[in-house]
Amino acid sequence: MDEKNTQEELTLAESFAQLDEIVQKLENEELSLEDSFTVYQQGMKLLKHCNSKIDTVEKKMMQLNENGELSEF
Amino acid sequence: MGTSIYSVKQVNTYIKHMFTQDVLLSGIYIKGEVSNCKYHTSGHIYFSLKDESGGIACVMFAGQRKGLAFSMKNGDKVVVGGSVNVYERDGKYQLYAKEITLEGAGLLYERFLALKQELEDMGMFSAEYKQPIPRYIKKLGVVTAPTGAAIQDIRNIAYRRNPYLQIILYPALVQGEGAKSSIVQGIQMLERVGVDTIIVGRGGGSIEDLWAFNEESVARAIFECSIPIISAVGHETDTTIADFAADLRAPTPSAAAELAVDDYRSITDHFFEAGRRMERKMWEQVQVSRYRLDNLQTKIGYLSPENRIREKQQYLVDAGERMRQLMEHRVITNRHMFDVYIERLKGLSPLHKLNQGFSYVEGKDGKAVRRIEQVTKADMLLIHVSDGCIEAEVNCTKPLERRDKFDG
Repeated sequence: MDEKNTQEELTLAESFAQLDEIVQKLENEELSLEDSFTVYQQGMKLLKHCNSKIDTVEKKMMQLNENGELSEF
Repeated sequence: MGTSIYSVKQVNTYIKHMFTQDVLLSGIYIKGEVSNCKYHTSGHIYFSLKDESGGIACVMFAGQRKGLAFSMKNGDKVVVGGSVNVYERDGKYQLYAKEITLEGAGLLYERFLALKQELEDMGMFSAEYKQPIPRYIKKLGVVTAPTGAAIQDIRNIAYRRNPYLQIILYPALVQGEGAKSSIVQGIQMLERVGVDTIIVGRGGGSIEDLWAFNEESVARAIFECSIPIISAVGHETDTTIADFAADLRAPTPSAAAELAVDDYRSITDHFFEAGRRMERKMWEQVQVSRYRLDNLQTKIGYLSPENRIREKQQYLVDAGERMRQLMEHRVITNRHMFDVYIERLKGLSPLHKLNQGFSYVEGKDGKAVRRIEQVTKADMLLIHVSDGCIEAEVNCTKPLERRDKFDG
């Protein structure tokens, strides 16, 4: 299973859930140092992914007409 | 009993009692046309309900006026809810009205119930078809009137919670002729354009105003939409078919915006927190490992062959040093004893004695002369002194006069 591909396909909601899961895992499970690193890296990658999905550009409200055309509201 | 005679009061009281006891009459809805309608200055309303067969006197007391939401006039077809009882003064029964609605509204309500039942039986309201509302969305679709408070409320609250949200409004007719097809089209257009969640709704109004949201085609469009839909029709107390068909019902448009749009700061806070927790944990993990490594290193260093060799070497050096010290001690002790012996030997040495002025006399036979009888006159003697010897001739011998003689 290619991890990168599956991560691309994750919706943001799924990413949120997975992020929480990873934090839980890292905090509550007895992991070896290697496993911790792996999980940590996964988490950081996911966090980056989540952050990249969050838009920070302010937008105008648009309206859609019956022909499917958008214009500023 | 037939022969008894009663007063009017007794009979009226008896009949009133019968009416009061009757379950049907104490809570009844009667439909008919209004006539003889009089609004009394006291606030009471007197009127009659009639149909082709006859009429019934009605009164709505001022205290019940909240049950009447419109201005009633003669000729209105209404449904009156209340209780039928006896007015003892006139010996007449009448309807004491608690609520009065126009009969049309009653029909609408019946249609509402019938459609609701039908769609429910079809499974359109089943929980299993409800789509979850996404937690974080980028695009919010809204189907409502472009004028009016609803869109402003939604816009204000949505942007307050997430200023980076894209809202796409489909300006729909929400009441009157063409409203239902306009709403349906709005849902379908927004689905085609692609948004994350859709809010369908309008502000408060009468049941007729909200009626488009009770239409089957609207319910069906909501049900069939692949995008999660939040309904927000009227006020909290208004419930429409659209509300049942929607994935989530919000009591008002404002509440719908709250439900649809997650607070942006809470999301970024959540990310920040997640990152911080992971980093802290990782750091801890590394610290623990490092500590354990240090420990092991110390242990392994202690056990290493190199260290053991070094230890043995050290032992050897120490042992050598100890031996050397012991030896030295021995030597010093022996040298000291040697000195002591030398001193003692010195005391015994004839040469030493010679040094002190004593001399050693050797006779002609080479033996030491110790007694006078060993020599005779004219014997040659050798007298050894410290720095050589002297040749001497015996002149005479004289025995020593001693009180205590060694022998004889």
